Amino acid sequence: MSGRIIELVAIGTLLAGTLVAQTHQEYRFNVGPKAGVSVNNAYGSISVKPSTGNVVVINASLFSGKVEVDKNLVGNRVEIQSHLLPGADAVSGRVDYEILVPADASITLHSSTGPLRAERLHGDVTLEGSAATVEIRDITGAHVHVKTLNGPVTLTNVQEGHVEIDSLSGEVTLNGVTGPLVQVVSTSGSIQYVGDFGDRGEYRLTSHSGNIVATVPESTSADVSARSVRGEVHDEIPLQPKTHTWFVVKEGSAFWGTMGRTAVSSTVVLRSFSGKIHLRKREAVK
Amino acid sequence: MNCIELQASLVEIEDGRSAAQWNHLKNCPQCSALVAELMLIASSAVELRGLNEPSPRVWNSIEIALRQEGIIRPQRLSRSLLPSLSSRWGWARWVVPAAAALLIAVGLYVRPHSQSNRPIQEAAVAPAIPAVSDQAIAGLNDDDLLQEIAQQSPDLKAQCADNLRRVNDYIEDARRIVVANPNDEEARRSLMEAYQEKAMLFELAMDRSLP
Repeated sequence: MSGRIIELVAIGTLLAGTLVAQTHQEYRFNVGPKAGVSVNNAYGSISVKPSTGNVVVINASLFSGKVEVDKNLVGNRVEIQSHLLPGADAVSGRVDYEILVPADASITLHSSTGPLRAERLHGDVTLEGSAATVEIRDITGAHVHVKTLNGPVTLTNVQEGHVEIDSLSGEVTLNGVTGPLVQVVSTSGSIQYVGDFGDRGEYRLTSHSGNIVATVPESTSADVSARSVRGEVHDEIPLQPKTHTWFVVKEGSAFWGTMGRTAVSSTVVLRSFSGKIHLRKREAVK
Repeated sequence: MNCIELQASLVEIEDGRSAAQWNHLKNCPQCSALVAELMLIASSAVELRGLNEPSPRVWNSIEIALRQEGIIRPQRLSRSLLPSLSSRWGWARWVVPAAAALLIAVGLYVRPHSQSNRPIQEAAVAPAIPAVSDQAIAGLNDDDLLQEIAQQSPDLKAQCADNLRRVNDYIEDARRIVVANPNDEEARRSLMEAYQEKAMLFELAMDRSLP
């Protein structure tokens, strides 16, 4: 019994030590319209949401005394840097940020571990992280740039965007993403698109060895071409085949056709070297 | 800070008073001697002020010689989004510009042809892409990257090696397609994208190896 009590006391002391070591800091900056906010955080999460008014609010949770937050307001730009002190590592150097910015602010977030999150903004969004999970939702009319090596990327309800995603092996999922340009390049990660390709946009989904699956309603208007050098290509939606193509459309390895109304349509390019490409029909919601 | 970085930093902070300079000078007799000589020249120059000023041509000649040796260069803003990277990773400073140079070089090697309306033919009409290594193009050396990662973050080396293998496979496959189909603009674009993936790998892998 006494051994069990000692064990519980030891666990409690460790937990208390952790809580004591973690500190919270808050910073506020008044900014003008279309401010810029950049956060460079080696270890830890960064979450950005809109604020009310022209103020940037930074809430930082520091996990030890081996990291400090350097902050700088340069003109209309807020720069935040997690400054690792000697001896810091991925655990002790961790800082979690929750940030509120004006909705029209442009943000640049960088974290190796992440996760990185941004939502309900309409300024430009740039997120980079080698292993970070990236989640972006409810963004309208903005440039969205994402770079990851292995972290999964999920975009949800990003409308009228100029979207560019580079992911080496992370899985990329696009739900309701439309815009004049939507481009995803992946080396070995899979790409999933669920939506309707908007109208008059250019969509390019490329993966060297990952699979590409696009699930769209039959009413979608798009000029779709798909090509895989070594993988298989399938389409579930009837297309009006293109009669004049500049590459050989070999059944099972490529297709090129139009769905919906040709007068109002997007251009969709699906390319893989050895992955499978699948154009699926989304069933109507009952 | 190494000797090259110290000598470069003397342009902005010429008397070794920054902490990084001081730390290097403590352990490097060659650089200490250089700074001491520069200080001596500077202090002696004050005494010469009363003497006849050399003609402007002399100063111009000195300036030209110093620029040619790279000792002086145009001032640049020191503000950086990622200052910790540039100060810590001396050689990694050239990763991003090297990656940009790599992309430009790929663009030069893979010159776009006018779009052909005919299906792709087997035989190549245009000359084959020369088998130029990434290192030759932009100094990107896989072994250097792995070595750096191994030194700074050994636990990431295996993943970095795996990432390199994937992206090199991508480049090789894309290159083969371009050689087989030189009129295929999409193939050229695919090769460009493959190199972009590799450039991104170098950039982010170095970030991740920060302690």
